[in-house]
Amino acid sequence: MNPSSIPAPDNPDSLPFDLMRVPGLGHLFRWRYARPLLQAPLLLLSLIMILHGLFGPTLAPKSLATTLSWLHFRGVLVLVLLCAGNFFCLACPFMLVRQLARRFFKPRYSWPRALRNKWLSVGLFVLILFTYELFDLWSSPWWTAWLIVAYFFSVLVVDGFFKHASFCKFVCPIGQFNFVASTLSPFEVKVRDQDVCTRCHTNDCIRGRREPVSDLVTIRGCELALFQPSKVGNMDCTFCLDCVHACPHDNIGILSRMPASELMADPIRSGIGYFSRRKDLAALAIVFTFGALLNAFGMVSPVYAVERWLGRILHVSHETPVLGVIFTFFLILEPVLLLGLAAWVTRIWAGSRRALLPLAVRYTYGLVPLGFGMWLAHYCFHFLTGLYTVIPVTQSAVASLGWPLLGEPRWSLTGLPANIVQVIEIGFLVLGFAGSLAVTYGLAESDCPDSPLRAFLPWGTVCLALWSASMWLMFQPMEMRAMLMSG
Amino acid sequence: MLRKECRILLGITCAATLLIAGCSKSVEPPFVAIEQDVSPTPAQVGPATVTLKLADAAAQPITGARIAVEGEMSHAGMSPRFAEAKELGQGRYQAQIRFEMAGDWIILLHVTLPGGKKLERQIDVRGVRPN
Repeated sequence: MNPSSIPAPDNPDSLPFDLMRVPGLGHLFRWRYARPLLQAPLLLLSLIMILHGLFGPTLAPKSLATTLSWLHFRGVLVLVLLCAGNFFCLACPFMLVRQLARRFFKPRYSWPRALRNKWLSVGLFVLILFTYELFDLWSSPWWTAWLIVAYFFSVLVVDGFFKHASFCKFVCPIGQFNFVASTLSPFEVKVRDQDVCTRCHTNDCIRGRREPVSDLVTIRGCELALFQPSKVGNMDCTFCLDCVHACPHDNIGILSRMPASELMADPIRSGIGYFSRRKDLAALAIVFTFGALLNAFGMVSPVYAVERWLGRILHVSHETPVLGVIFTFFLILEPVLLLGLAAWVTRIWAGSRRALLPLAVRYTYGLVPLGFGMWLAHYCFHFLTGLYTVIPVTQSAVASLGWPLLGEPRWSLTGLPANIVQVIEIGFLVLGFAGSLAVTYGLAESDCPDSPLRAFLPWGTVCLALWSASMWLMFQPMEMRAMLMSG
Repeated sequence: MLRKECRILLGITCAATLLIAGCSKSVEPPFVAIEQDVSPTPAQVGPATVTLKLADAAAQPITGARIAVEGEMSHAGMSPRFAEAKELGQGRYQAQIRFEMAGDWIILLHVTLPGGKKLERQIDVRGVRPN
């Protein structure tokens, strides 16, 4: 099949832009081996990072493991999510290893029913944020390499025992980050024409394409239980394009859409249900948003004063309990207080008929753009200010093998000046703030059509408070420490 | 009886354990004593002076050494600062570097002894304060 086989629309202006129609790109994405082709370089890069992290320099600025993980990977990831979609999951190297492993042993079990939600992955997301601060992962090539090894190991264990994409959907913390962030992406894997799906009786997009006689699956359908005709938005979509390959009608594209639009609506979604009824998804959105501020807070000067103060009043010198208190405050107390108060005021003031918890759950998704703005500002700071550092680190790594093919390391190469990057950071924070205001107002309009402003104002105030905190954080002096409690 | 998956899992675990055990690094015993001082104390963002005193195993000052000083931060993406230490006499050497940002710094000393032997040392400067 090729992109020109897609039926021409009656009015091309009314249809969204389809990446699958782009010459070359459409052919690539339709090719059955497109995913392995994209995964292979990242797998090679992962192996290099592991080896360099374990056997190379112990200093983070000189290691490919830390430089590529904490600077380039994170920076590129958030920018691709902002500008396109969840293409990292498409090129995920862990899934290539899983696919190779599944040639030798087939999983037999279904993922336990009790764990078919996001609670486990929310816990792992928090655990990664916690260990990142506790063990200063960013400063240790050794631990960074082991984190990558642990990821490969976890994928093999989970998807070795359990069928479908259990790891992606229910375990992977990076995947959950990508799922939440991609709700703000401008592209979505989506059916082009619902009428074609209505006439379709094979449902290959989810069942997989099968041999007519043996009924064996020859092309896999969606492993994340997203049935294309009723799929809404990017949540849980890894952009693996299995559905694109399986659809016999060439009716699935990568279509443009209004970023964040899926956060404003609450239809029933295939494989997910209603956003407003998913407390686990709301918890994920909370960790995503408040975790963004917490992660940035760990890098600025005031955190050390807070830690010392907490250490004194708790009479502890070890960092674990102090970090535990900080995490509890930022990820539980603060959200409960802010969202609870806003939900209560909305009920009283705007007369919303929803109960307090469903109301809070519904509006929590409105904070996602703010959180993404903060992740973008934080990750792009490191990425852009250290943009070129990968060059001398690579030169040094190659030279250390005894082949100075790339010349002497040019350690003077860094990145963009901090004052320019700060303007970009402000832009991301403003964009996130505007996005959150738009989404919460959209929710208020559909929730309380008679008094949308009254329903919106408490949530707008929460957005303003979080945005002010983000701006304050950004103007704090950076303080990069590997030992938080060292004084 | 172990299932096939369990045996594979066990194999991966054993391989990972061996890799962990095999990746520990040996440390060479020091043969040169280096006294160090970084001023101002406590360190803060801006210029800093690194003073070093080298002595051999018999506590005799080592003269004629070449010392390249390299300042690193603990986070990737920060470019290192380089300086060459000047010899002050009596085994004492001094270099000027600049701490560009608050936080933890690591000063690496690349020492070339008069006989051409090389060694490296690391000085941790924790909690460089903002101005």
